[in-house]
Amino acid sequence: MRCGDFRESYSEDMAIFDSRLPRVLLGLLLALLAALPAFATTYWLDVLNRIFIAIIAATGLNIVTGFTGLISLGTAAFLAVGGYTTAALAGKAGLPFFVVVPLSGAVAALVGLVFGIPSLRLKGLYLAVATLAAHYVVEFTVTHWDSMTGGVNGISVPAARAGGLALGDDRHIYYLILVLLVGLLFFAKNLFRTKVGKAFVAIRDHDISAEVMGVNVFRYKLLAFAVSSFYIGVAGSLLAYQARIISPENFPITVAIDYLGMVIIGGLGSILGSIYGAIFITLLPELLRLGNDALAAHWPAAMGLFSQFKSIVFGLVVVLFLMFEPDGMAARWHHVKNYWKLYPFSY
Amino acid sequence: MAVTGKLLGASLAVAVAALLPSHPRAQDIKIGGIFDLTGVTADVGKPFQQGVIDAVAFVNENGGVNGKKIALVGVDYGYKIDQARAAYKRLVNDEKVVLIQGWGTGDTEALKEFVTQDKIPYFSGSFAAPLSDPAKFPYNFFVAPTYSDQLRAWLAWVKKDWGSKPGTAKVAFMFGDNAYGRAPIAAGKAYAKEIGVDVVDEEVLPPNFQDATSQLLTMKQKAVDYAYINVTTSGVRLVLGDAKKLGLGIKFGSNPYGFSEILVAVAGPLAEGVTGVMPDVPYGDPVPAMKNVEAMHQRFRPSEKGDTMYVRGFSYVLVWSEALKRADKAGQLNGPGIKAAAETLRDFSTGGLTQPVSYTSTDHRPTTTTAIYQIKGGKLVKVAEYTLPRKPDWLGL
Repeated sequence: MRCGDFRESYSEDMAIFDSRLPRVLLGLLLALLAALPAFATTYWLDVLNRIFIAIIAATGLNIVTGFTGLISLGTAAFLAVGGYTTAALAGKAGLPFFVVVPLSGAVAALVGLVFGIPSLRLKGLYLAVATLAAHYVVEFTVTHWDSMTGGVNGISVPAARAGGLALGDDRHIYYLILVLLVGLLFFAKNLFRTKVGKAFVAIRDHDISAEVMGVNVFRYKLLAFAVSSFYIGVAGSLLAYQARIISPENFPITVAIDYLGMVIIGGLGSILGSIYGAIFITLLPELLRLGNDALAAHWPAAMGLFSQFKSIVFGLVVVLFLMFEPDGMAARWHHVKNYWKLYPFSY
Repeated sequence: MAVTGKLLGASLAVAVAALLPSHPRAQDIKIGGIFDLTGVTADVGKPFQQGVIDAVAFVNENGGVNGKKIALVGVDYGYKIDQARAAYKRLVNDEKVVLIQGWGTGDTEALKEFVTQDKIPYFSGSFAAPLSDPAKFPYNFFVAPTYSDQLRAWLAWVKKDWGSKPGTAKVAFMFGDNAYGRAPIAAGKAYAKEIGVDVVDEEVLPPNFQDATSQLLTMKQKAVDYAYINVTTSGVRLVLGDAKKLGLGIKFGSNPYGFSEILVAVAGPLAEGVTGVMPDVPYGDPVPAMKNVEAMHQRFRPSEKGDTMYVRGFSYVLVWSEALKRADKAGQLNGPGIKAAAETLRDFSTGGLTQPVSYTSTDHRPTTTTAIYQIKGGKLVKVAEYTLPRKPDWLGL
């Protein structure tokens, strides 16, 4: 075990991983993820795809809420914008995957910019309610702009086309999503080593001091909304490619609440937190279902029992985390890591 | 001490049960079930699911499918489309079911690509007209007249009820802004124009609404005489309560998921005079198959009251288990085989629980006959029955 921190250059100081072991382990993890489709069932690949998409969107939400301190309830709206843009570009215009996804993200970023404007004068809960407007405006637009979105009946999305091949299967789209996930997470992690990221954090910590120090608060707040909405829009686009058909019923307000739960449980202001939170919330219904199925196999009457627990468990977990570990699962992970790093000393 | 001992014993039993795998025998026929037990339509979804489960037990006890037992793998998806999709993928890819008993309009239409690709016969609780067009939805079936045909039948009743009063009847539609809510509206408007009934207002009822006063006041302003409510039972109850508060004399009608014994139970005297379309007979109606339905209900749920949703679930199983039997006899117990077998049903009788069922390869409308019931004295009384023409241009609309 290493003891002590010796940094001998600026680049060492700024490094994401301070020793070789994490880099090796990360490489192994990526290799494992890349090899997974060979032996995972289609169902678990579907779950993994949904987890990856959730991680991307949770990272986006964490950028604006965790790192910049601007509470946003518009996650479902930006997911919908990304998804429907994809349906239009891939379906009607027939563009390939690697063109559609960034474009969908860009359109969502533009929409995010527009709905970020209230952040000039609003903070905290007031801003949250203003972003709620984003949700309802987008929901209404999507439900009633029949010619573009198919209205209440939804719109189907063709299989992702990359390199001339149609990749509609969960198994194939897994790789596309994984590549995007790794790239976007890398970008997000690096964002907070740059001037822009540090400006975001300064705004969260004390926006008036940041303004006094020379950070153009409004410009960076808008940028935070734009970057966050880009991530969420990309997640929405991948969601559309994976689900193959989307409708307004895919994006209720509970989706926005679920994502807020993800970043709270995972850890606000931490990329690792977005990952943990997304995995936890996406797996929660699966775990409850496994328990439910096991019971229902023996007593069919127990079929509905666990599903009702999902909402209770979700709320309970959020409350317990806020009480005992407000910095989320990421903080708990750091405590565990530090315990072993400093053992037998306690600090 | 004794309490903790019991608690420990109980949790141990649960843990053991959870770890024990379930092993259906090799010749069991696996059927998937996607139900809503906890979502927005749970008030009607739960009795439907109960009807399906009990009917499967009934079929298994009475010879099964040519001796083979049906193993129902049920999932609660809470009316969330992505949960339905995940459940579908698991049922088809991992559990390898040959048929799915589905539920809601939105998710059934969302699963269309996969259902057609995987060739899995899908019996939905949704009667949306597009699902009855095999050209668009080749593997989808349901056991009832389409929502559109049912609305047409109700409008025909409105015309008859208006009788020879001066002017034309003024009708309003109240519905949720989703696929299920909007399903029959366009067809209803077109048919109303055809028979000479005025559709003067359309009101949207938001999801999980608790108050319909503003919608009802608009309808009062437009002097509406009849209103068709296209949500589920709890929504109908809310509208009736608000209408009473406002002192409106509007005659309300409901779609097949808002009208049942459950409405009578929750709305009490408010429901007097309300009409509704009923593709299945009320629970306890003296038809030949009702004794089987009642026997199963008494056995498994003696403390609960039966209703027409339970009958509906039961009737679905009778229909698709017949398709399974025919497919098995032909040696084609797979997706396309079951679809073909279902399409051989001609005036198949469910023992009076529903109208006789017929499917063809070009038309999945099982019947075009709709019964209109009215609540009189707390009971569901049949007041009319309309058989609409099986028009080819109404297929899918």
